Amino acid sequence: MDFNDYELDGRIYDEMFHADGTARSHYQGVHTALTGTSAADLGDIQEQVTGSFSSEGISFKVYGDEEGDERIIPVDCLPRVLSGSEWSGLETGLTQRLKALNLFLSDVYGPARIVEDGVIPVDVVRGCPQYRIEMRGFQAPHGVWVAICGTDLVRTNEGFKVLEDNLRVPSGVAYMLANRKAVKASFRRLYRSSRVQDIEHYGRVLLTTLQELAPEGTSDPAIALLTPGVYNSAFYEHMFLAREIGAELVEGRDLLVDDGVVYMRTTAGLRRVDVVYRRIDDDFLDPVVFREDSLLGVPGIMHAYQQGNVTLANAPGTGVADDKSVYAYVPDMIRYYLSEEPIIDNVQTNLCRNPEGLEYTLDNLANLVVKRVGESGGYGMLIGPHATPAERSEYAEQVRANPADFISQPVLDLSRAPCLINGRIEPRHVDLRPFVLHGHRTRIVPGAFCRVALRRGSLVVNSSQGGGGKDLWVLEN
Amino acid sequence: MLSRSAEGLYWLGRYLERAQHLSRLLRHQTEALVDRPVEEIHFGWLRIYGSLNRQPPVGSLELLAQDAYSLADSYTLADDLTFEPTNPDSVWSGVASGRENARHVRHCLSAEMWTCLNRTYLRIQGLTIQDIWASSPERFYAETVAEIDTFAGVTAATMYRDEGWRFLNLGRSIERVQLSSALLHAHITAAEGTQDVSEAAWTGLLRLYHALEAYNRTYSLAVEPRQVLDLLATDARLPDSLSRSLDMLSAELAAAAPSPNDEAAGAAQRLMGRMSALVNYAWLDRDDPRSLLRRLNAHGRELHDLVTETYFHYPVHDAPLR
Repeated sequence: MDFNDYELDGRIYDEMFHADGTARSHYQGVHTALTGTSAADLGDIQEQVTGSFSSEGISFKVYGDEEGDERIIPVDCLPRVLSGSEWSGLETGLTQRLKALNLFLSDVYGPARIVEDGVIPVDVVRGCPQYRIEMRGFQAPHGVWVAICGTDLVRTNEGFKVLEDNLRVPSGVAYMLANRKAVKASFRRLYRSSRVQDIEHYGRVLLTTLQELAPEGTSDPAIALLTPGVYNSAFYEHMFLAREIGAELVEGRDLLVDDGVVYMRTTAGLRRVDVVYRRIDDDFLDPVVFREDSLLGVPGIMHAYQQGNVTLANAPGTGVADDKSVYAYVPDMIRYYLSEEPIIDNVQTNLCRNPEGLEYTLDNLANLVVKRVGESGGYGMLIGPHATPAERSEYAEQVRANPADFISQPVLDLSRAPCLINGRIEPRHVDLRPFVLHGHRTRIVPGAFCRVALRRGSLVVNSSQGGGGKDLWVLEN
Repeated sequence: MLSRSAEGLYWLGRYLERAQHLSRLLRHQTEALVDRPVEEIHFGWLRIYGSLNRQPPVGSLELLAQDAYSLADSYTLADDLTFEPTNPDSVWSGVASGRENARHVRHCLSAEMWTCLNRTYLRIQGLTIQDIWASSPERFYAETVAEIDTFAGVTAATMYRDEGWRFLNLGRSIERVQLSSALLHAHITAAEGTQDVSEAAWTGLLRLYHALEAYNRTYSLAVEPRQVLDLLATDARLPDSLSRSLDMLSAELAAAAPSPNDEAAGAAQRLMGRMSALVNYAWLDRDDPRSLLRRLNAHGRELHDLVTETYFHYPVHDAPLR
């Protein structure tokens, strides 16, 4: 394959090429290998990678899609490459950020000094639908509210930025591991010669993290992964992780609480559970405390948690820290709690709850991305430049009606990486979601679920909206 | 292990066994369509529907005894038994339900088991009766049988011998007992009502159980119904004989975990003993094999209920804490 027709655009950072068309040094190996591979061979590799996803049943579910209940997530076979030093920078920045976020959660459900000191307005915190009044005064075991975090990072010509913190039930790590497995098997020699850092120990790291968070005095804690069930879009991942860490994969109906202790129903009787890695939302966790119509949850589990008899990871209420409005204040949190400057920047964010933010947003709708505070997964957002005037004015009405529900950000020129599209190598926009784990200390496996907007020109990488995945190679230094 | 996981594996075992059994029957039946007399074809459908206790979609099977109907209606009947999603016993329902259970408990299976089963599911998923009828239906059934055999082989080669293995085999063996007792019962009933086909029908039954050579070695080339039934019920060397399935069932039951419901566990053990006695002792002195098979089948249903109460849905209030 040659790269003669590969499109470069100075405004957009290309992961493989400098602006002058020469390959970046950490991409040399991949560049040379692709140049020496025929289109037909690459096609075979792509087919092999896709085929392994299909026979392994690596699927996700799209809500509101009546047709197939399971879809295979599209995967692009060409790896995205980061240098070891690029990664080290990200690692330090992510560690810093999660530390501040955990301190924020302890504070905001405790003395709320940050509010008192005027760093974050009280109504931003209290107005957040994910603020759980039930957690007030609660001290999370070991001070860890967020044990598993998936941070969405993007790169522009100005460097990496955090697009979103996912602190509730972040998903995608199974795809990170599956992409690696499939791509490694298809680019055997290239992989070996590239000296890629290993990510296969993710399961062990997760297990260590969960064990560290077990209630005091528990030796050999029993760990269960709580899933909403097979109809959840991320069920494949729940199953995969339960297997990786040797945990029981439980649904709410498998658990019961007796005298403040959580048990699971086994073939030998009731067995005590010490740590629940829960992959269901706060709302559905416990019908006694949260939504009473929840059939997925476990009545009484919050009581057991508050008694310290079981650890929930992540803690309920963490959503207040990944709220799209609160996000704007994370750099201030880092300065406030750690007296450090943020290592990875935020994306400039306008809060429509503030009059100046609202005015700016409405005046510049055609150049902004507007997001709903409570939504995720790429739902409910407006990409100004891609919308029709009618769509924009209709959206503006909604913003005017409930300004506090919206934020806006500039349309980012997300970096692009080479992808195999219909037998040609073309650039597509990408982001990455590394997974940051925190038990007694922070641990990050050197890899990420790299998402790619497979539609030409599209900036939306969500798998529910035509996005796909890609393997991310972090090279050794 | 988690009760729900154990139950999922148990049903996985049952459903695949069911799909395989019916595929075997249909393979022989569609082979018969090529060259066997219409009476025999009629007998074959009568036996299948009798063993499933299901109403055929063409109304009465009597008409099938005429050549004009047999081929066209066979198509409809094969569709009903193979792809009909509302028929819980169809091959497709068995494979799809087995795979659905496997999906729930995938973390309890080896990766190879899942891949193997998922391939079968994906192959059958897009097919219709037209697709398989156009070429060679017997090849479709033979492939399905072979794939489920492969799944059993992959399972034996890769699955950790934990409780999951135990419940999977418990499901398989209980289903085998149920399927065989129902089939032998239906066979005897159909054979009584049909003249002219008896010799071929009994040979076919032996073939279905891979038992023709064993029969010829043990007895003679002349096919005697009583001896055929003896072989299929009591020969411990025959993979699918009733006594062998019961031995497997009883071994899995005895080795299963300490039960949280002692009362039901004890009842299950006693019932198991009665079922084994029916085949190992009462069988040889039988006057009426059909009533014996009926009892065995009814006991199988009770045993299923007891296993469910013992391990899957036991009362929580007095269950032991571990």
